[in-house]
Amino acid sequence: MRSSLKLTKLGWIALTCFVLSLFAFIYLSPFIRSFVASFMTWEQASRYPPEWIPDPFTLENYMKLFKLELFPRWIFNTALYAGLIVAGNIMFSSMAGYAFARLKFPGRDALFSALLALLMIPIFVTLVPNYIIIYRLGLIDNIAGLALLSLANVPSTFLMRQYFLSLPQEVFDAARIDGCGPIKTFFYICLPLAKPALGAVAVYQFLGAWNAFLGPLVFLRTPENFTLPVGLSFAFQRSMWTEYTPIIAGSLVAAAPTIVLFIALNKYLIKGIVIQAGKG
Amino acid sequence: MSKSHLFLSQKMKSLLEKRKSREALEALILISVVTCLNMVFGYFAAAFAFYLSFFKWDYIGPMEFVGLKNFMVIFKDLWRGISGAYFFQAPFYTGLKNILLYTAIVVPTQTILAMILAAFANQKIKGVQFYKVSYFLPAVTSPVIIALIFIWLFMKQGYINYMLQFVAPGFAPDWINDKSYLLYAIALVAIWGTSGHFMVSFLAAMQSIPRDIYEAAMLEGAGPIRRFIYITVPMLKPMIVYVVVLGLIGALQMFDLAWVMAGSNGGPGGAGYTMALDIYNEAFINLRPGVAAAKSIFLFALIFSVTYVFQKKYKVMVR
Repeated sequence: MRSSLKLTKLGWIALTCFVLSLFAFIYLSPFIRSFVASFMTWEQASRYPPEWIPDPFTLENYMKLFKLELFPRWIFNTALYAGLIVAGNIMFSSMAGYAFARLKFPGRDALFSALLALLMIPIFVTLVPNYIIIYRLGLIDNIAGLALLSLANVPSTFLMRQYFLSLPQEVFDAARIDGCGPIKTFFYICLPLAKPALGAVAVYQFLGAWNAFLGPLVFLRTPENFTLPVGLSFAFQRSMWTEYTPIIAGSLVAAAPTIVLFIALNKYLIKGIVIQAGKG
Repeated sequence: MSKSHLFLSQKMKSLLEKRKSREALEALILISVVTCLNMVFGYFAAAFAFYLSFFKWDYIGPMEFVGLKNFMVIFKDLWRGISGAYFFQAPFYTGLKNILLYTAIVVPTQTILAMILAAFANQKIKGVQFYKVSYFLPAVTSPVIIALIFIWLFMKQGYINYMLQFVAPGFAPDWINDKSYLLYAIALVAIWGTSGHFMVSFLAAMQSIPRDIYEAAMLEGAGPIRRFIYITVPMLKPMIVYVVVLGLIGALQMFDLAWVMAGSNGGPGGAGYTMALDIYNEAFINLRPGVAAAKSIFLFALIFSVTYVFQKKYKVMVR
């Protein structure tokens, strides 16, 4: 009796390991497969059945990529866009988050609920009007104009507000007794204390901006100003290369920063998702 | 109270008032950027979209009030589609039909898959973090990049058809170019891309279920499968609703994957055409912003009612 119980338990553990490993393979193999193929000639990468060892090993795909003058520009544009978004959100959403969490002013809660309600509106509703606004401002085909749209996001403000609410009230009282006004308190007390939350905002906004597609697609017009996702899909649809391997190599280059960032910070990021979900 | 005391307290009061109004003023400065940007690009834009949906316009000339004509365009399109018109005569209908089928495939599959994976990962085994990281990796990668890689993997003589030979011998469709498989290919990529993210959410919810409930069930002789069905699933209800609602919102406005894998014209026979693609085309290819606005309001109404009905039914409100 006892041994059979142990056996079924062992069976369950074996099944668990099998299922988890099978799915790890399913989730990882597209990445591994494309990483390997990016060092192959297209002739080898399209061979059937698939081959796993590049022979001959070639850097031709990456060279073709960088020979295209547009590609480094796309990297630069994406980095600029992500940088603007991260900087804007760190600055403005932490200010607003602090004010919504810790300061008293008329209409505070109503205004905050109104901001949160915006999350229900799909991006496609506001897309055309925003295109017209940005067009009227003369900022179409301009990374700064595109960044203006999401410089101060509601989700980052929400995250910062939750963080400032979780700090003990004494911190703010102490600053007030010392005669600090709200803005002074924000810069000297709150910002240094908020480093973990600011880091979270920075990482999420970076991932969002680096991977953004619809905004850059609509608001950027000339290929010189594209970001990586738009540029690569443009290169694919215009068939800039006769082979597919440069596209694969380009995809990996474009995905590399987010993958490295995620692997480096996986514990914090996964925890952050959990906290976000908990709010629901 | 003596006169001096009264004077003092009044002075205190006015000082306090001054301080209060100063606090309010500085607070307004602090929230100004977030508020202004979101009022303009959020509320003003949404109101303008609503306004625009009653006008005929080409971005340049004067706007012409047309009443409900833009909405009539939608319903005529739907009517033609229902009476069996071809894709080019009823693009909006095709987009709606495709996105409903896509949502019906993706949302239940990714939710159940994420829950099952979480149940397996929620056991005392080594290397759980490795599994979490590998399941989560697609979620931090751009959908466009994922789509570009999968176009290659889905080729007729590609990696996926090769792996399929071990599971279903002889089944090797030309996923991207065959109109009866394109939407399923997009759905598979979407499931692959998002289930890992939701798996982590489920895992967190599972870890907060009290251990003693399971222990009591084990004493009663309930096996792992029965414990999953009778304890885990009911305890997870709020998280299931949350994941389904997020999944619905994402799936109903799917754009990136379809844009890359099917192209903006929806691929062969419009098999990969979605409502979001149709709104984009209406606004920026056909240059009919009024019709695009009307269609986007239809999309908003669809998302809102579907998520509202779902939350109402299960009596858990997200947000």
